[in-house]
Amino acid sequence: MKMEDMPLSGPDNTKLEALVNDIYSELVEDACLGLCFEVHRAVKQGYFFLDETDQESMKEFEIVDQPGVDIFGQVYNQWKNKECECPNCKRLIAASRFAPHLEKCLGMGRNSSRIANRRLASNNNMSKSESDQEDNDDLNDNDWSYGAEKRAKKRKSDKSQTSPRRSKTLKHKNGELGSGISADPYKYNYNAGINYEMLGPDEVQSFLTTQCGVISEHTKKMCTRSQRCPQHTDEQRMAVRVFLLGPSAPVLPEADSVAVPESFDIPDGQALMSRLQWEDSPEISPSDSASSKASTNHSDSRRPKKKKPRPSLGLNSGGGIGSLSGGGGGGSSQISERPLPPPPPQRLCIPNIRKLKNTVTPTREMVAGAVKNCL
Amino acid sequence: MSKDYQMKAAINQKLIEMGERERLKELLRAKLVESGWKDQLKAHCKDVIREKGLEHVTVEDLVTEVTPKGRGTARRQQVVGTGQKSSCPCSKTEKINLVVQ
Repeated sequence: MKMEDMPLSGPDNTKLEALVNDIYSELVEDACLGLCFEVHRAVKQGYFFLDETDQESMKEFEIVDQPGVDIFGQVYNQWKNKECECPNCKRLIAASRFAPHLEKCLGMGRNSSRIANRRLASNNNMSKSESDQEDNDDLNDNDWSYGAEKRAKKRKSDKSQTSPRRSKTLKHKNGELGSGISADPYKYNYNAGINYEMLGPDEVQSFLTTQCGVISEHTKKMCTRSQRCPQHTDEQRMAVRVFLLGPSAPVLPEADSVAVPESFDIPDGQALMSRLQWEDSPEISPSDSASSKASTNHSDSRRPKKKKPRPSLGLNSGGGIGSLSGGGGGGSSQISERPLPPPPPQRLCIPNIRKLKNTVTPTREMVAGAVKNCL
Repeated sequence: MSKDYQMKAAINQKLIEMGERERLKELLRAKLVESGWKDQLKAHCKDVIREKGLEHVTVEDLVTEVTPKGRGTARRQQVVGTGQKSSCPCSKTEKINLVVQ
């Protein structure tokens, strides 16, 4: 029910108004009283005047509006030009560089121990290496094996992130590093390229029992990764061992597990080539049978994958046949375009390849060519 | 007149019983704060206190000084604040009508 809906009679209206006014003034008085009590309590408790400041303090903390100075009146970069004396080395260091300098000077902090370890490692290597190599900050990453240059570039970029002042760049000098195994062969430093020519037979053997050892085509260095490194196959490892230690090389621990190499990704087509080489040569001398038969076992499964290069390989191996040159024109042109047999891993298998070249595996094309020639 | 007096008493009682009085009171307080009446009155209190001296202010002093001013300004506030037919800033009269009916 609203007042607008209910018209009131005259006298009652005024009376009602009066009543209403009375009630209203009572309410107002209650409000005033409430306020008075509040103020009185604040005064007696001492917090009534807390929100006010006197004029003197107001002047003191006035907002400053001068150029070159912030609103509190402080100068922004007054500490920039100041120098501090390092308590350790007694040098005068600029203020903004003081904290990082202390970190290195005192040997505390995250970066300093890392850098110190790197320096130690590279110093060990440098003392044994022939070339004069700069310090490299490569121990940031866990990449042991050598690499393709793109890996070196990636390391360069990683390195520059960690240390802002680093202006020296890492140069991956392929082939210039002729260092032997460092005192601790398990210390990892990607520059510690192990050149197999530098090692004695005992060292080679001990090295090969623990590490991959596959010789890289680029650098002639042995891979320092573990025995199960995914970049090289067991065949390569075995080939290296045969090559370095002679035919009586101990069989790799994983030679039995056929399934393992299957799971490896083979980025290098040349690795496949080498496997195919094995597979194309059934007549291998008995001394190599231990290694090669093991390899043919699991390379057989790979046979269906690559059929294309097979004939060319077979033709390559059968260079002695005169009919080949005449017949199978397309095939021979393929041969001529490929003067060399698939390069690097084969260098490992050198003794075996010589034998391969002497054997002839009659392929379909060879036979067809021979037949054409006769006709 | 006693009749009016009785009526007033009855209204008051009814209001209290319904809880309306409390509600009206809170409403009034909110409105007064909103309009700035409370801060004005507080400033007046400060003057009185400074006048009388901080240590010796009593409640009675404050009340006698402050209340008439408060009442007067509240009345002025209500005239300013309305747009309604009644002279009250809130819909008090309708409530009272309710009670009366």
